[in-house]
Amino acid sequence: MPTILEPITEPVIKKKPRSDDDLTPTYYVICWNEPVNLMVFVTHVFMKIFGWNKQKAEKHMKEVHEKGKSVLVREGAEKAEFYVHQLQEYKLHATMEPAE
Amino acid sequence: MKLVRFVSGQWQYALELNEINLLNLLLKQFPFTDLQPVQISRSDKDSKAKEREKLLNESLAQHRKLLKKAAVNLLEAGKIKHQNEGWLLTLALEDREVLLQILNDIRVGCWNALGQPAELEPKVENLTAEEQRFHGLMNAAGYFEHSLLEQA
Repeated sequence: MPTILEPITEPVIKKKPRSDDDLTPTYYVICWNEPVNLMVFVTHVFMKIFGWNKQKAEKHMKEVHEKGKSVLVREGAEKAEFYVHQLQEYKLHATMEPAE
Repeated sequence: MKLVRFVSGQWQYALELNEINLLNLLLKQFPFTDLQPVQISRSDKDSKAKEREKLLNESLAQHRKLLKKAAVNLLEAGKIKHQNEGWLLTLALEDREVLLQILNDIRVGCWNALGQPAELEPKVENLTAEEQRFHGLMNAAGYFEHSLLEQA
């Protein structure tokens, strides 16, 4: 008895069109631990610069303190650079590192 | 130094005479250390990163000049008033941020000058006179930072 084969259809994978944003390099703004900075000071600076509430600012401060660093935000070059300037004006050790 | 009140966008702190003298000394003699160049990135070494780093260091040098000017005016008449048992310091929001930046510049600058020690409270007898001076300044700056922020 002949078998009826169903036509094989390939699934259609819709590719997301690449936007300019995908091509723009992004950077992690990282704050590194320096034991000289008071915890209350670091929390204050995060709240001031990023507009975070105390809970979020303290979470990142503790990460800096306990893990040696915290990734604060991921941004395009210009904004990442702006944040690094702001953090450095308070003498926090901040850098911008290329995001993968 | 204690927070008295926060009204109409202004912070008011009560200080004793020895505190106002110490704060005055810190501000009048700021900066105590040379500005150290900073890295903008640990991993990015291309020409753009170098240009950004140059810009950052120029910007920080300029910012420090502004802080030095601001330091002279932070305790000017009108911002500090004698009251019954001490002094009342009134700071606008932006003045408080400037003061915090000056204090942490002193604190981090002294820490760098000391060789970035992990131990922040070493035995005094183990320190040279210069190291004692830097420790004193670092602790004084930390005391005022804490006082400005802890009760906020």
